Amino acid sequence: MKTKAKKISGWILTVFMLIMSLFFLFPVVWMLANSFKGDALITADMNSAAAFIPPALNGSFFDNYITIIKDTSFLRYMVNTLFYAAILIVLGIVVNGLAGYALAKIKFPFADKWLLIIMMLMIIPSETIITINFLTIAKLGLLNNIIGYVLPMIVNPFNIFLFRQVFVSLPDDVYEAAQLDYCSPIKYFFTMVLPMSKTVVATVSVFTFLGVWNDYLWPSLVFTSSDLLTAQIGLNSITSNDNTTMGQTLAVITMITIPVIIIYSLFSKQIVEGVVSTGSKEG
Amino acid sequence: MSFIEMKNICKKYAGAEKNSVTDFNLNVEEKEFIAFVGPSGCGKSTTLRMIAGFEDITSGELKIGGKVMNETAPRDRGIAMVFQNYALYPHMTVEKNISYGLKNMKVPADEIKKKVDWAVKILGLEEYRKRKPKNLSGGQRQRVALGRAIVKNQKVFLMDEPLSNLDAKLRVSMRNEISKLHRELGSTTIYVTHDQVEAMTMADRIVIMKDGIVQQVGKPMELYERPVNKFVAGFIGSPQMNFYDVTVKGNTVMFADGSKINLPENIITRLNGKKDGLILGIRGEDIKLDSQNLDLYKDSIQHSVVENTEVMGNENNLYFTFGGVNTVARVSKYEISQVGDGIDFVFSPARIHFFDKETEESIF
Repeated sequence: MKTKAKKISGWILTVFMLIMSLFFLFPVVWMLANSFKGDALITADMNSAAAFIPPALNGSFFDNYITIIKDTSFLRYMVNTLFYAAILIVLGIVVNGLAGYALAKIKFPFADKWLLIIMMLMIIPSETIITINFLTIAKLGLLNNIIGYVLPMIVNPFNIFLFRQVFVSLPDDVYEAAQLDYCSPIKYFFTMVLPMSKTVVATVSVFTFLGVWNDYLWPSLVFTSSDLLTAQIGLNSITSNDNTTMGQTLAVITMITIPVIIIYSLFSKQIVEGVVSTGSKEG
Repeated sequence: MSFIEMKNICKKYAGAEKNSVTDFNLNVEEKEFIAFVGPSGCGKSTTLRMIAGFEDITSGELKIGGKVMNETAPRDRGIAMVFQNYALYPHMTVEKNISYGLKNMKVPADEIKKKVDWAVKILGLEEYRKRKPKNLSGGQRQRVALGRAIVKNQKVFLMDEPLSNLDAKLRVSMRNEISKLHRELGSTTIYVTHDQVEAMTMADRIVIMKDGIVQQVGKPMELYERPVNKFVAGFIGSPQMNFYDVTVKGNTVMFADGSKINLPENIITRLNGKKDGLILGIRGEDIKLDSQNLDLYKDSIQHSVVENTEVMGNENNLYFTFGGVNTVARVSKYEISQVGDGIDFVFSPARIHFFDKETEESIF
């Protein structure tokens, strides 16, 4: 049974955390509330608590959003980005997963050295190799092409490491049992290894999605055709346009933020479990 | 021609100084139940895994059904295996675990259903067929593993310590179930265990191993009654056989603490004149405390003080010091002694074993 002191300290902690979370929520609430307002109202409310309250629900409530959807290609950019993320999630799981599996379970010369190299690659910022990637993709004639965008982003040392750390703890006898059940190695990977490692698959998927969703530099180099642009580039071009109002800017930012918040809320448990499991298991 | 033939099979891991398994020779007949038994690290699981194809055979020849299998992939050896940790597919239900191999073998769906129905019925898993392994008890999981093995109609079953993760009570019931299943299916079974009771109760023949070398192959009672060396004598039987360093003078056996027992002439002659460098072995149940035996061997009655007792219900184990070593006598439940009680006892002469102290080989 909890003592009275423990109950009180629990309450104090809850209130403190609530206040702290409000601090973090303020900008989001402000953004959301003002995304429904015209510029005049935003300016008028700026110095009062009304800045955090959305306007009354009336005919012009969604005007900013309607303008963005109607007058810009932002929705298309969002769909593009979702599409790229989907491709990269699938390819990333297959390629990085197979690499992680090989490092975890297959005996080959210098396996430990390979792992070390891959871990060292994790500390290299992607910006340092982006020029080389760009030149390579340009030489291959893949600029303005989805393949050119996707190709350098498939392999991710951090994801390989995550997969490897989880796969190393998978029991070998399950693979042996599967062999006796006439299961080929590739089939084993897809029908056993991945389903048995749902947490890390979810973690890698979320990280990949966020990486693609938030990426600005690489798509801005590869894509020039407006049909192929991503949400972040769309956001930049819309917000830097002089005709865009403050309310519309906030509407665009809200549109680009909401999916991230949804993904985090849905998968926060898996993300934590996935990352924690990579550290706590034998490897 | 035997169904499984193993000739001079050796296993040496890369970088290891010694062989893990050395010159393993065994012929297994069809429908036979063989148990590999021995302490941890004796090579029993390695041998089983070589038969399964999960370990390469360094040298020697393995034949199953007359065909050399050294280089054959595990799935083409016609074997089914039950693993120590069950090795179930955690994301699949019971029936999917059981049917997975059949699906991969492209068995028609209606036949798969029949086989799964049959397996879950004989293994008592009918009400669990839609459950996943995490929602099953250890015994149920092991039954699923058995189900997965039996539906494939393979001729050879390999079992690698399948009951070692179960509690004592469940082990006894699963032991019976596996024996029953073996009789019903008539499959050739090789069963690895470190538990000599499992080996004794289940196997037609036992292969007892130590340090990668086969010590003795035989029927359970052969190993119990006529162990070829001190290791086998000590490993088989619980509580383990009592051993004493002894010398022989005439018909008298002298123990390290000066105790003496007289043995009949016919037993002494079997020592072929060897007088020292001997180990005398006697099982707990062959140390007699009852008046009939004390009368019969009254010139060899010994005395000691009980230091500990184990009341087993059906019998009692009495621990005391004799011949300078800890000794255990297994007596009936009616021969009740307390710690500190003085006891008189005799060794049943016909049940005494002698071993060469140097080689530890059995003399008789």
